[in-house]
Amino acid sequence: MSASQANTSENTLYAAHKKIYPREVSGRFTRLRMLSVIVLLGIYYLTPLLRWDGRQALLFDLPARKFYIFGLTLWPQDFIYLAALLILAGLSLFFFTALVGRVWCGYACPQTVWTEAYLWMERKIEGKRTSRMKLDKAPTSAAKIRTKTLKHTVWIAFSLWTGFTFVGYFTPIDQLAAKLFSASLGPWETFWILFYSFATYGNAGFMREQVCMYMCPYARFQSAMFDSDTLIVAYHPERGDPRGSRRRGTDPKSVGLGDCIDCNVCVQVCPTGIDIRDGLQYECIACSACIDACDEIMDKMSYPRGLIRYTTENAAQGRKQHILRPRVMVYATILLVLCGILLTNLFLRVPLELDVIRDRNTLYRETREGLIENVYTLKILNMDSKPHQYTLTADGIDGMKLVTDEPEIVVPAGAVQELIVRLQADEFNMESRSVAVKFYLQANQANHLNTVEEARFVGPGKP
Amino acid sequence: MDVPVTDKIPHTQQAISVLWPSFLIAIVATGVFFSAFNPRDLIPFNLDIDISPLAAYSIGFFLFWVVAAISSYGTLYFIISNSRFLNKQNR
Ligand code: SF4
Ligand code: SF4
Repeated sequence: MSASQANTSENTLYAAHKKIYPREVSGRFTRLRMLSVIVLLGIYYLTPLLRWDGRQALLFDLPARKFYIFGLTLWPQDFIYLAALLILAGLSLFFFTALVGRVWCGYACPQTVWTEAYLWMERKIEGKRTSRMKLDKAPTSAAKIRTKTLKHTVWIAFSLWTGFTFVGYFTPIDQLAAKLFSASLGPWETFWILFYSFATYGNAGFMREQVCMYMCPYARFQSAMFDSDTLIVAYHPERGDPRGSRRRGTDPKSVGLGDCIDCNVCVQVCPTGIDIRDGLQYECIACSACIDACDEIMDKMSYPRGLIRYTTENAAQGRKQHILRPRVMVYATILLVLCGILLTNLFLRVPLELDVIRDRNTLYRETREGLIENVYTLKILNMDSKPHQYTLTADGIDGMKLVTDEPEIVVPAGAVQELIVRLQADEFNMESRSVAVKFYLQANQANHLNTVEEARFVGPGKP
Repeated sequence: MDVPVTDKIPHTQQAISVLWPSFLIAIVATGVFFSAFNPRDLIPFNLDIDISPLAAYSIGFFLFWVVAAISSYGTLYFIISNSRFLNKQNR
């Protein structure tokens, strides 16, 4: 890079992108991370295949406007529960960030998880870091084209599977598979499968750490949740500096050096290409690859492990550590309270809804017996997973009668039933021209399934 | 005063800063909007169009995306033109 180029890239806020070739590492944290990646990918690809009560266990059925979450069926009216769930997820992210820093980034973020998977495929096909770098520098050759084609084919196949699974969360995946094999996928289903595949391919294959650096909102504001007791990955400068190479088995003090042999392995393994020895940086996703890498070097040099390690600012400075500090307590309290509210509401949720619409055409009628009659259309929504028979009653005016042509009210599971009912009352008992009346709907043999809905009853008014 | 030379941000980064936040907002807006309204109820009575729910949600999503992107672009535009202006004044 020439001097003038270097100058512009300094002014652009975003440095010119240099491709990063993370070096392979092994060690305890790497094993933990791989375990997490495998478990999370397994959950993602297998969940849509689970069945429950003869249907897909987890299905956000957009066409039918119902969300099935194992035993629970959520309707658009229950949107608030999903919103609450999202808020809870956000809050737990706050809580865990304050406590253990960016573990989410390093172990569980889909960006990390899929990048690891794509990197693994890349390593299997193109080889280690040095061979990958050599391959990219090499002039175009038949062998290079073959390797690259293989890599992209595998990547694209995996992306397509990912996209298919994604759409399988929103339309029943068995039907989707059937349509796929009979080549009768709808245009929008096809579009979303391709869209999500393309996003996966681009994000995990190419964008990688740039997503974390330039696009992730969490990466930008996570530092707001940090304090001196948050777990971070850090280099120990007092122990490591001054850095310098030396022969194996040398006592660092005898040559006036610290424990860091300046081998740069920690930089080479870093998926975001930073040098952790420069201190805590917002690019660091706390993946702990550099910990494992440096520990291996320390073992080779027979120095104690932990020149780069998980620590907290307070611990690193030799100050007292506090796990339960006000910030953590506050996040935990809010989290618990919200969790409690959500669970109580979910538990008390009555999967039954009643809508009452007054007949718009006639205000009221007079029956042959001289009673005032109002007509209503009732909509009964049975959100339960079983059919139910209901009893309908009404009150509000002395001696009021409820008349309907239906002998019994039965609503199948997950269905809406319309019902025309008439209320008849003596004008003499009405206190004013328009009186509030109440409809009570009660499921037979299910005490908790009941609801009340208010309506107006209109008469000619007092003379 | 040191004014960042915002218009030197590479075009891809500019595109991302317009399309990406609006994408996230469009997801939220689509979720909120369609849990309140069933696309079937939104088609005016005099129109006889048969549109699948998935198509309706998708089109809704893209409309939200476009609207949010226009707003994002407006923000970017003002930041860039203001930074040019301030740079000129400071010269
Ligand atoms: S891996 Fe360890 S020894 Fe090697 S440069 Fe990094 S900190 Fe120093
Ligand atoms: S500095 Fe270490 S922990 Fe941070 S991203 Fe790089 S390798 Fe991972």
